[in-house]
Order: sequence, then C-alpha cells, then structure tokens
Amino acid sequence: MRTVIDSKKPAWITLAVALVFNTLLLSLQTNKHFDTSFVRVWLLASLGPFEKVVDAGVQGVENIWTGYIALIHVRRDNEKLLAENGQLRMQLSEKSEEALELGRLRHLMDLRATPIGKTVVARVIGKDPSQGGQNITIDKGTKSGIRKDVTIITSDGVVGRVISSSEYFSVVQLIIDSQSAVGFIVRSSRRLGILKGTGGSELEMAFIDDDNDIKQGDELITSGQDQIYPKGIPLGTVLSVGPRQGNFKVVRIRPNVNFGRLEEVLCMTDHLPEVPVGQAP
Amino acid sequence: VKDRITTYGVIGKLAISLVAVVVIQGILAYRIRVFGYFDLPLILSIYYGFTLGRPVPSVIIGTSIGLLQDSLSGVPMGTNGFSKTLIGYLAATAGSKFDVDLPVTRAIAIFLFTIGDGFIISILGLMTGSSINLGYNVLWNWLVAGVFNALLGTLMFGYRDRVSHAAS
Repeated sequence: MRTVIDSKKPAWITLAVALVFNTLLLSLQTNKHFDTSFVRVWLLASLGPFEKVVDAGVQGVENIWTGYIALIHVRRDNEKLLAENGQLRMQLSEKSEEALELGRLRHLMDLRATPIGKTVVARVIGKDPSQGGQNITIDKGTKSGIRKDVTIITSDGVVGRVISSSEYFSVVQLIIDSQSAVGFIVRSSRRLGILKGTGGSELEMAFIDDDNDIKQGDELITSGQDQIYPKGIPLGTVLSVGPRQGNFKVVRIRPNVNFGRLEEVLCMTDHLPEVPVGQAP
Repeated sequence: VKDRITTYGVIGKLAISLVAVVVIQGILAYRIRVFGYFDLPLILSIYYGFTLGRPVPSVIIGTSIGLLQDSLSGVPMGTNGFSKTLIGYLAATAGSKFDVDLPVTRAIAIFLFTIGDGFIISILGLMTGSSINLGYNVLWNWLVAGVFNALLGTLMFGYRDRVSHAAS
C-alpha cells in the first residue's frame, strides 16, 4: 500500500484510473446493463450501524434536554390537554357514528376501504450527506420487508419511496427531491397529472398548459398511475397558480408532510392493489 | 514489522475519519437544517489534498469519501466519487504549488472547490438523465454553501494547525 501511495509514477495515471472507475460505475447504472446496486447496499450496510449509533447518542442528549424543559411547563400543559381531551372525546363519539354509517354505505355500494395494507414503523436516522440532496436514511431494511419502491408515509401524507435497502437500513427519496415524480389527482376536480420535486421545500406540477380546473387551495392525492405510490394518499395543497414559463404554467404545491420534522415514518410493505379512478377517499 | 504496523495504523485512522465525516454530515444535516449547506466530505478531501500535497493518496481519499457519500444519497453511485476525486487531485496539486497555509487562500480555494463540486455533480446528473434544476435557486445554494464551507473549513484547518504545532 505504501509503495502505491509513495509511487513516483505520474499522478495522472491514478487520477485517470479513479475517474474511469467512477465513470464506469455511472455508465453501468445509466445503461442498466449490469446491476451495481450491491455496491450501494454493501456501503449502506456498513455505514448504517455507525449512523444509528451516532443518532442514538444525539437522540439521548436531546431527550434529556427536552425532558428537562418539558417538566417546567408540564402542569400548564396537563391542564390544557385535559380540556382538549374532553372536547376530543365528544368529537370521537360523533365521528364513530359517522364511521359506522360510512361502513354501512360502503358495504351497500360494494366498495373496499382505503387500501393501506401492512405497514412497518421506521425511525429516521440521517439525511442525505450530499449538498442539496433530499433523501433520508431509515433504520429498517429488507429484514423488515422493505424493498425498493416501498411507499413511505406519515399520518399527514406521502413522504417518498425507498430507493435502496440493505438488511437493516434503507435510503428514502423524499417527494421534494429534484429526481422525484408522483402521479396526482386534484381531489375536487379529479384532474390527473404529475408532481415533481424542486429540491427545495415545495413541489411543482409538471406540464400544466392551462389552469381552468386548478385553483389555489385545491387538495391533491396520489393517483396510483405511477405504479409506485398507491392511490388516495394526501400529497399537498396548491399554493399558487401561474405565471406561464415557456409552454407551461408554474403551479406550486405545499406538501402536507413537514419534511423538516420527520422522526418516525410508516413503510407500506404490502399495500393492496390500487382502486379504480373515482373511488379514492 | 514496525513500519507495517504504522502504515496499517495510518490507513485505519484515515478510514475511520472518512466514515465518521460522512455519518456526521448525515446526522447533522438531519438534526440541524442549516447544516445541509455544509459539505464535510468535500472539506476533508480538500484538507487532505492541501496537507498531504501528494496527488495519489488525495485521489484515493477523494474517490473513497465520494463513494461513501453516494451510498447514502439518491444520486447514482460514482457522482460524488468522480467529483471528489477531481477535487482531491486539484487540491493536492494546488497544495504542492501554492502557499495554502494562509487562511485567505484556503477560504478562497474551498469556496471555488464548492462551486466546482456543485457544477460537476449537476453536469453528471444531466449526463445520467437525472432531472437537475440549474436555475437561480441552485446557483444561490452553491454560493451560500461556498461561503459556509469556506468559513467552516478555514476554522477547522486553523484548529488542526494549532493542534499539530502543539504536538510538535
């Protein structure tokens, strides 16, 4: 090793070899002639445990801190929560009646409930170490049934999809990543389209040449037509429509999920097949 | 035998520092939002390039840290590997030809390398069919990242110099 490092041979040979190696790796992935995912999986499996240990340490310090701060306000918070609890109990009894009625109606109309299927809870342990990248690492992998293209959600909506998995860890591409695209339906008008990530905190509609049936405040859900995300999961709300840039309108979307505060996520390991258009919740 | 043990020790320390930097970057970017602008693996590549002043080990370090970074990113494997390899080589060449002990020189070099890194990654993204935005926001992000990295890198290099002087 020392002889290689201290070699007097021209350095550009090493540079050329390293650049060709990286170019070959890129080229193989682009052409899909040869599966190079094992390199990523192997590196992810090696780095994951370190990331989990460091994250656990940071989390421990954070818990001590927040636990102490929370104790100062605990009495006031408790009174507030008790009051809220009473209100929520009343609302719950009303909602359970509505749910029973909805169930009866679904049964009558022979419709299935929203297909969520089997889920696994995972913890976010890290973020993309590249500049501007919008991916996260979670502490569950193939051992928990998580594989490529598994949909990741929270109670607020879609988070993203798994792009690579090792045995115990997975990398998730967030829907706000500039490489991401999701099929959507406007909940009110049933218009279909594609949402693209901007690499920032928002999403954009792709290829919108008119805005007649898209208004500010419209809610969007997944369409299921991309064959990755199951249908009917909340995506976000239309923030603004227009102006036209080139051939298409710029429609900005605020995602439902707060990506800055992701801690636990649900992995849809076994979602049921999509329901036909028009049956989404 | 003693030489071999020393060599393995150096390689071991180097490997640990590479893994640690990528992991710390991932954790801090997740916990502290503003840390997304920093690029510790890039700063480390430049640091080794400057201090070693030898292109061969700098190229190996650049490739290794870039590939580690790629494994936790969504970009195709080899993207950061390619960029950090080139930056490691250029930093080592600059380190052997210019006086990179001055904080101003270091800050300017880190700033320029950050812009270069962003540019190379975007070009590779376009070549591999990824949808990369090359708009005003991206340019702004590069500039902000350049300033942040230059500040952090200069501080870290300065601290490292002090520790080295104290040890010697």
